Amino acid sequence: MSLPTMTATWPAYNAVTPRTTLQPAPAHVGLSSPVPFRSALNSRPQSEIGSDASKPKKVEWPPAVRDYVRRAFDADNAIKGISSADMQMKLKATISFYAERDAHDAIDWPTYPLPQELLQEERRMAALTLSTGAQTNGHANPLSSPPTKKRKSQDSEELAALQADATIPPWRKTNLGSRMTFDAEGHTDKRHKKNAASGDAFSKFDQADLDKRRQRFQLGNNSNKTTPPWGSPRKEEDDASNAPVIGTNQALEKSYFRLTAPPKPETVRPLHVLEKTLIMLRQKWKAEKNYNYICNQFKSLRQDLTVQHIKNAFTVKVYEIHARISLEKGDLGEYNQCQTQLKALYALGLEGKPEEFKAYRILYIVYTCNKSDMNDMLAELTLADKSHPWIKHALDVRSALALGSYHKFFKLYLAAENMGSYLMDMFIERERLNALANISRGYANVTLRFLTDELGFDNDETCREFLESHGAQNMIEEKTNEKNGVHFQVKLRDVATLFESLRAAAFRKVDIKGQI
Amino acid sequence: MEAVLEPFKQAYATGLAQPVAEFLSPIPPGRDPGRLYDFYRASNDDKIEGEVRYALKANRKTRMSNKEAEAWIDLIVGYWRAVKQIILADEAANQGRLGDRQYLAVYDTWKDLTSSFIKHISGGSLPPWAIFTLYFTANHFRRIAIKADEYLARAKPATSVNSFSDDIVVPQTARSEKLEEAARVFNRVFALCLGDRNPDMSESRKWGVYCIANLQFKTYFKLKAISLSKNVVKSIAAQSDLPPFHLYPRAHRVTYRYYTGVLAFLQEDYAQAEKDLQEAWDSCYARSQKNKSLILTYLIPCRLITQHAIPSATLLAEAPGLARLIGPLVSCIKKGDLTGFDNALAEGEPAFVKRRIFLTLERSRDIALRNLLRKVYLAAGYDELKEGQTDKDRIRKSRIPLINFATALRMGLSGEGSGQVVEDDEVECLLANQIYKGLMKGYISREHAMVVLNKKGAFPGTRI
Repeated sequence: MSLPTMTATWPAYNAVTPRTTLQPAPAHVGLSSPVPFRSALNSRPQSEIGSDASKPKKVEWPPAVRDYVRRAFDADNAIKGISSADMQMKLKATISFYAERDAHDAIDWPTYPLPQELLQEERRMAALTLSTGAQTNGHANPLSSPPTKKRKSQDSEELAALQADATIPPWRKTNLGSRMTFDAEGHTDKRHKKNAASGDAFSKFDQADLDKRRQRFQLGNNSNKTTPPWGSPRKEEDDASNAPVIGTNQALEKSYFRLTAPPKPETVRPLHVLEKTLIMLRQKWKAEKNYNYICNQFKSLRQDLTVQHIKNAFTVKVYEIHARISLEKGDLGEYNQCQTQLKALYALGLEGKPEEFKAYRILYIVYTCNKSDMNDMLAELTLADKSHPWIKHALDVRSALALGSYHKFFKLYLAAENMGSYLMDMFIERERLNALANISRGYANVTLRFLTDELGFDNDETCREFLESHGAQNMIEEKTNEKNGVHFQVKLRDVATLFESLRAAAFRKVDIKGQI
Repeated sequence: MEAVLEPFKQAYATGLAQPVAEFLSPIPPGRDPGRLYDFYRASNDDKIEGEVRYALKANRKTRMSNKEAEAWIDLIVGYWRAVKQIILADEAANQGRLGDRQYLAVYDTWKDLTSSFIKHISGGSLPPWAIFTLYFTANHFRRIAIKADEYLARAKPATSVNSFSDDIVVPQTARSEKLEEAARVFNRVFALCLGDRNPDMSESRKWGVYCIANLQFKTYFKLKAISLSKNVVKSIAAQSDLPPFHLYPRAHRVTYRYYTGVLAFLQEDYAQAEKDLQEAWDSCYARSQKNKSLILTYLIPCRLITQHAIPSATLLAEAPGLARLIGPLVSCIKKGDLTGFDNALAEGEPAFVKRRIFLTLERSRDIALRNLLRKVYLAAGYDELKEGQTDKDRIRKSRIPLINFATALRMGLSGEGSGQVVEDDEVECLLANQIYKGLMKGYISREHAMVVLNKKGAFPGTRI
């Protein structure tokens, strides 16, 4: 379940069990599978087949098919030991199998084996397989594979077992296995349910998700000494699968890989190495400014901290630095992840710069225009917070925009501290358009200089470029008068509608990667 | 046992949901505070099922089918078990040692009761009206879940959040774990109502849709998972074969409209919010003070935005608590007193934020500002009469120096504790804003440092 109050973003390396292998499913002998002769077409994914089947087509059966059906029911063709019910089922399956694929014409019905013959053949082969274990036989159509849906969970089960074998001592194996399968089941379940219920109102409270979540919570509770009795039945299992890894890797650099299984200790760097890594990364960032590299390194750094359950001032520092760097590069998705973590880390009472990041969070919410988040944010601030200069600045930004005072807003923009101006850069264009929409309604014309000042541009040139790039190129004209000498007038009235539509468009899309 | 089940039989004989729900209540009625205790003492764990079965089946008066009788037996036994835990928890509380464990036992037994109720209703063993009895049971379940969470929170304070087991840190872990569980149970009840395929509408569980939806809203709001409510609204909207809305009981309708109104309000769809809240207001029982006050809490900010309308004194008087809260704000808007407005807003901020109306109320500062600017306009007086014109023809001065507005703003903001300095450019900015928002008609001429207002309707909606 994802309760929206928890603005936690799922980290990229949350342990999940995707299909990481293409190895074929173990050959199961699905004798009772109603779909015959699948091999010709079994490259089709199950889901597609399923969706076809769900909406039966009204078909006018071709005469060949009708004749085939008639022959199937003919008493002369009955085979001893195959009941009429079995035969009918098989018949239905056979015909609908090809009907779904519009393949009736491709089949030579008069010579096609009758359902009872098919069944007989299948049974014979089954007996053969069972007795000899042989998979191949003379028949042109080998047996059908088991349904894909089942295969998937088996796959991950196997995968889990495999990984468990590889990475953890045997006494943990069962626990881990159960956890992994649990995950996999959760996924299939969810999709299943989603497909089943149209207008699905309950997917958010999906039972599997909820169980998972509850389990997660209990993981946390159990890490305390004071485990309440109702949590205890799970205790052992959780402790085992959730125990921190103790890293042994001494390398400073490490590329980030999304975890799909518990990490091996030899790939994880212990704290003292990570501390050196951080120093190295900071230097590299200053020297090279290669964001892709830095982001990747920080992610692996964070992952190593996570899997070793390291939660201290150093953790805070890592997240803070990563957050600042991603702000600098305008990577709000990554920033948002760090921010969420930081909020929780500060809540644990760890040392850091909570005021700085609260200020960012306010600006961030200003950017996302999420009113209910803002309300929650305001509810969270203490009086002391509100008087802190950084937070106060952010709050002033918020209220300036809420009251439509672009004049104040752009002054605040120029006065932003820390990384605040990077965040404000994210919505400065939008607010400039907003201000222009305002000004273009309120004035007949203004000077270029006035706009430069009001909209916080560095100089007339950039202001002019901004206007021209937004379609107001013909509205700027040179004027001379005695008082001001040469200056530029902007005839805004004529472009009021244009700016209004630009403004609306700018506010419509606030799209952030990684944002829930 | 016979004796304590007599009230059930009587209640059942009425064929109404509420009397039966009263029998199955976790709270003893005021006139008989010992009822739960007596009920509990009438049997014990071993005998309860047999005794209830005997009492219900031996009595042919009730005329229920065997299947139905079994269902009621199951429910009454479940209820007895819950009552037992309630009594035990009560006793523990009297001895001052009520911990979370006792209360969780109450929660668990009540959850079992609710679940078996769902089971029997979906199995078709109970009469159609039982869905409303279930509603009462579920509502009690909600309260019990909230209380259970309180006990849990006390037992393991929030500081013990140590689940940094993944990159996800979930703050406030499991603070309302039980209520979340309850929410899932309500979801099942809701599905039970919505998905009833009984073609006979008089027996349909579809009549329970809105009251269960309301129960879900309450739960989601409490859980601070408000957005989940939208799913409920959506699935109701998608269900085309519900009975007409106006045929539902008024209580269901008012609450439902209130919640959909608040949901629209929170999504800043003020037009829709106003419509729904108005409907709730119109149908609200005149003497339910609390409900009326709740509706007004959102309806008034709504109308401030949609119509720039401020509530009359008589309207505010209907909700004294609310009047205390937003009364000062409203009078400042009327007077165009910006400093007063800012102070009142700051004063009420915690309360407004709690009700999620702060950001909306903040926007009504525009109206306060409009009223101030309007005063400047009025103070400017009239153009001099030209020849042949009479007093009737005279028109107000439409060209007003910027400095007049700037002075007014400075006067308005120089009041105690405002600490605000207004720059000339900001005055212009605020004026441009008013024009943009349509609160004022005209334009600013920087060359002449003048504001040129429309000759007619300079301040729309204010009769000038």
